Amino acid sequence: MPEIPSKDDPRTTFRYPLRWRIMDALNNGLDRFWPARMSPYTGWALIMPALLLVGLLVLGLFEMAESSLHTLDRATFLPSEAYTLENYQTVIESATYGRVVTRSVFAAGLTVFFTLLLALPYAYIMVRTTSSVVRKTLLVVLFLPFFIGQVVRAYGLLIILGTTGVANNALGLVGIEPIRLLFNFPAVVFGLVQYMLPFAVLMLAPALTAIPRETETAASSLGANWLQSFRHVVIPMAKPGLIGAGLVVGTLALTDFAMPAMLGGGSQDFIANAIYDQFFRTADQGLGAALALLLVVLGSVIVGVVISIFGAGTLGMGGKK
Amino acid sequence: MTARSQRILFWALVWFCILILSVPTIIVVGASFTTANMISFPPEGFTLKWYEKIALARDLQQAFIRSLIVSTVCLIVSVPVGTLAGLALSRFKLRFANAIQIYLLLPFTVPLIGSGIGMMLIFGEWRVLGSLWPVGVALAVINLPFIIWSVSSSAGALDGDLELAASSCGAGRFETFWFVTVPGVMPGIITGGLLMFVLAMSEFLVSLLLTDARTVTLPVQIYNNIRSIITPDLAAVSSVFVVIALLAVWLLDRLVGLEIFLKSK
Repeated sequence: MPEIPSKDDPRTTFRYPLRWRIMDALNNGLDRFWPARMSPYTGWALIMPALLLVGLLVLGLFEMAESSLHTLDRATFLPSEAYTLENYQTVIESATYGRVVTRSVFAAGLTVFFTLLLALPYAYIMVRTTSSVVRKTLLVVLFLPFFIGQVVRAYGLLIILGTTGVANNALGLVGIEPIRLLFNFPAVVFGLVQYMLPFAVLMLAPALTAIPRETETAASSLGANWLQSFRHVVIPMAKPGLIGAGLVVGTLALTDFAMPAMLGGGSQDFIANAIYDQFFRTADQGLGAALALLLVVLGSVIVGVVISIFGAGTLGMGGKK
Repeated sequence: MTARSQRILFWALVWFCILILSVPTIIVVGASFTTANMISFPPEGFTLKWYEKIALARDLQQAFIRSLIVSTVCLIVSVPVGTLAGLALSRFKLRFANAIQIYLLLPFTVPLIGSGIGMMLIFGEWRVLGSLWPVGVALAVINLPFIIWSVSSSAGALDGDLELAASSCGAGRFETFWFVTVPGVMPGIITGGLLMFVLAMSEFLVSLLLTDARTVTLPVQIYNNIRSIITPDLAAVSSVFVVIALLAVWLLDRLVGLEIFLKSK
């Protein structure tokens, strides 16, 4: 005869908690829909949503490629039916676009140079300082603009560089006539350097952290002055960070829209501005798409060349295996 | 330890950086208190009237709410997707892992104007252009590497034996995931999520391409207004972004510590 549990027996008073029920249900569900024998593919299942989400972008590129093969029919303002490479020919033969591309590439190069020049000491001081207050302050100064966004930052620069702005007022104090600081090429490059600085420092800092302080001490104990130890120890060891930062800054600057639009005042258009104008001013979608694809190719070629010469630097994802 | 000349040179450059990074922000905030009708600096007098004006402006209010909606959509899409991908990249041996990495970096390597216009064409074809959620999805796409990065680096620091220990204690696969793996990478999820939200809040170019007059978000609205005329009320709106950025930096520092970005992999 089975034993009848008494009222105080924990087996009868214990109630299976709801949370356990939910967890069991989820575990069972998982076992049913994703049995353990599927586990070799679990990694793929986890990464699939991300692949699909980025697929949206790839789909967009294909759509653009399709659209770039139709010219705009000036009579009906509809894209032509036939496939043609005419748009690409127009872009390549056009002297205007040649100028715009040269300007963008030149500006991107200058931006990389000046940004790295400023970012390297900044990151170095930030990593090496012994004072936690200094480090925190430098970090906050860096992160604020990063989060504020490009439009507001360009707006601040507009106020500063305007004819009646702060910079000209300061020049006026030392007796210099107001000069036009805005709507020219240097203003755009200055804006880009200011915009890229946080990106560059944040990419450089981990690379500098990885360099043990002792290597520099060793270099100086062997008689190197700071310039030599910087040139022969710090910079070679920070190379992955410099490449990563340079790539990010270069591609972002090359393809920027807001700085040329706002600080260039329409006279300093980059490729992105030309593309925008084709889509929204002249409504020549095909030509705009062709330009955009050429920009993608140009950017990828530059990135590819740099990576194949110097390696991917710190751009790899996936962390420590 | 460092030479005097090095200290002087480096600190001079650092001060220059500090100046160009923070002066525009300070000027914008300062200009929002001016009593004059045009932007001037140093500001004349002190007034809060521009804040009153923007608080009553319906278009700005709506643009702000739209920005919040877009950022929330971006967060809802990107956090689960990015977390799973970050775990997959750091915890699982995938074939073609290198190719996948390059593919997942596409949002960073494809120029924003290209991704923006491509998605504009796609959304136009799907007839969803003109609603807000596609903007949020698009922003999730273009910033996705940020959250994958932050999750995978914090997963790299998590000891894999913990998961084995949990399952040998009888935890099922889901329980192990939910009670061991997810809390383990929580710093990465929070950092990534915060980045996604704030960057979506202030993103400009893709928002410009995907919104129209009825769906403009706040950064686009500011851009449109700057092109017409520069008035102090715009400085007041911009100060809203400064406050958001301050909050984000403070939160980030409280939650994970800003110093985490200095760590080498």
